[in-house]
Amino acid sequence: MKVKYLNLPAQFDVEAILGDIREELKSCRFILGPQVQEFESAFAKLCKTSYALGLNSGTDALFLAIKTVDIGPGDEVITVPNSFIATAAVIAAAGAKPVFVDVDEEYNMDANLIERSITPRTKAILPVHLTGNPADMPEIMAIAKKYKLFVIEDACQSVGATIDNKPTGSFGDFGCFSLHPLKNLNVWGDGGVITTNSKEFYEKLILLRNHGLKNRNEVEFLAFNSRLDTIQAIVANHVMKKLDSVTEKRIENARKYDERLAGISEFVSTPTKKKNVKHVFHVYVIRAKKRDELAGFLEKNGIETKIHYPIPIHLQKGCRYLGYKFGDFPVCEAQSKEILSLPVHQLLTDNEINYVVEKIKEFYGKK
Amino acid sequence: MGKNVKMKVEYSYLKQQFAHSEPILKAMKDQLKRCQFTFGPEMIEFEKKFGKLIGTKYAVGVGTGTDALFLPMKALGIGPGDEVISAPNSFIATTGAIVATGARPVYVDVLDDFTVNPDLIEAAITKRTKAILPVHYTGAPADMPKIMKMAKKYNLPVIEDACQSISASINGKMVGTFGVAGGFSLHPLKNLNVWGDGGVTVTNSAQMRDKLLLLRNHGLHGRDEVEIFGYNSRLDTIQAIVGNYLIKQANWITNQRIKNANKLDKALSELSDYITLPTRKKGFRHVYHLYMFYAKKRDQLLSYLLKNGIDAKVHYPIPLHLQEAAHYLGYKKGDFPVTEAQCKSIITLPVHQHLTDSQVNYMLDKIKAFYKK
Repeated sequence: MKVKYLNLPAQFDVEAILGDIREELKSCRFILGPQVQEFESAFAKLCKTSYALGLNSGTDALFLAIKTVDIGPGDEVITVPNSFIATAAVIAAAGAKPVFVDVDEEYNMDANLIERSITPRTKAILPVHLTGNPADMPEIMAIAKKYKLFVIEDACQSVGATIDNKPTGSFGDFGCFSLHPLKNLNVWGDGGVITTNSKEFYEKLILLRNHGLKNRNEVEFLAFNSRLDTIQAIVANHVMKKLDSVTEKRIENARKYDERLAGISEFVSTPTKKKNVKHVFHVYVIRAKKRDELAGFLEKNGIETKIHYPIPIHLQKGCRYLGYKFGDFPVCEAQSKEILSLPVHQLLTDNEINYVVEKIKEFYGKK
Repeated sequence: MGKNVKMKVEYSYLKQQFAHSEPILKAMKDQLKRCQFTFGPEMIEFEKKFGKLIGTKYAVGVGTGTDALFLPMKALGIGPGDEVISAPNSFIATTGAIVATGARPVYVDVLDDFTVNPDLIEAAITKRTKAILPVHYTGAPADMPKIMKMAKKYNLPVIEDACQSISASINGKMVGTFGVAGGFSLHPLKNLNVWGDGGVTVTNSAQMRDKLLLLRNHGLHGRDEVEIFGYNSRLDTIQAIVGNYLIKQANWITNQRIKNANKLDKALSELSDYITLPTRKKGFRHVYHLYMFYAKKRDQLLSYLLKNGIDAKVHYPIPLHLQEAAHYLGYKKGDFPVTEAQCKSIITLPVHQHLTDSQVNYMLDKIKAFYKK
């Protein structure tokens, strides 16, 4: 049996989407066409925020959030070392310094470690809802309030995730989302969205994404070009309609893994989450003994797995100048050696899940 | 043509251009069987074709024309404390890209063909100057031989803003091939366009190319290793599909625009009491992304043309150094007298490849009627 990590070609209503693109060719509003606004409204509603703006990528959503609050050289932003590199890169791109704090057993920012990392130069906290599991936002917001820091949520993996029914992306000053092809809500290329409840930030973001142009001829401040393509918004509007079922299916698949892997807990631990949260399982991560051998065994048996990520950000070559070393973030470092992401996508069948579970058990001699 | 005939001459030709797009949609449908949305084979194919069209060893697909300028500057390590010499009459993105690196734009005034005056560059060079960024504005090549000579003298890299000038050349040598890198835009309104934002940086330097490949994709070396902190600026595969379809027409598009411009030039040169054409330099192939000239009573002419259904425009009424956004640079009115004077009399006519002869004649009739009434 073959179990792919994702099955994108089976995911899209290709004819319907191409039909809408064909229709748009009658007006050719390729830049910030009405479908972008339609998507933005639907997305803001989903996130229960006042505003949402379509951008070129999830990376840009984070970067423009940082630029909106004028974070730059000399400033520090607190984040985690176990995310995708873009989380830290946007901080560096703004000229600021990423300051890492270690993570908890759920792969999210350990809120207990934040305060000791705050300095007079700290301007913001940038928690990541990694794997689709919300970070401890109530705690993080309380700290941010105490120290008057901005909060920029990296919700690139967590569209639809909630804490007590409050969506990720609606807690902080900004929520930053990715529409990258591998995400739960995806388009046919790069795309991103930023959410905010602040009218002031929203208005600034409108300029930041479009060269700082107030109108065709007047430039209020020098800015960037980061717009969600109209044709990608057309794709997003289609996928959006199915998002609830995508999320439910991923949650259901995760639950099946949880149950079926429970018997081998001495070798494999399944993801934990807090009671009041909705984890949307962008990634289903297990901790596995002999991880690399297991991954090799699964691959040999036609099962595609991934590691998110084998090298923590603070140990990357690109990060050397920050002066971190091995041992600085022991939890994150230990996790990076044991984590393994199993296929959890919405088109996975019950048979496929059984097959993956069976092969994992077989590997540990527990069949 | 009768005096009272009313016609529409639209500036945008996209609806005509994409009226028969089934082959593009079919290629997209084919790609959807594979879903290689990021760096798919069509993107690689487009890069190869683009490099071939321009005549550089490498072409790197990026997110936008803005990024096509920003990324090579980052590759050169340009940043805070540095200065980059450019022109004050471009689209704002030229300056935006410089400022995004943290560097300071230093303007020099332009010639009557809207490109940077090479004789003024030397005076603007300081110890902090790190690059020259000439703009092939309107599709007219800047005077690259002179600019390259100056750059060589001071050992400065040149990044060409070729966003408006695909296929423009000087004595057969394409713009984008003179400097260490050339940035092109594939924005829907450009001569070679896609269905959204897109850009390309061309270079003959393997070192520049390698750096650009890292910078456009998060600094990733393989899936798991990060060599440098980078950005996310990629040309979408599905936009490359559009690009691959249109690049076959690039020569036709360019020739049509040149043909239309020559026709306009010929007729407008007879109105020299009212209209001045920019110098058309010998050996310089202008590709007419914008057909601009100088007009007496410009504002009245503009509204007269608009009233008569002709989408004339002004690119742009306010120069960069006088924008609110540029206040912090400390420039003031009078600093760039040529640019400032041009802003008051420039006007842009539609010149696109889908214009008909009767539309060209109609525009000329209306301009004549305006000045002769």
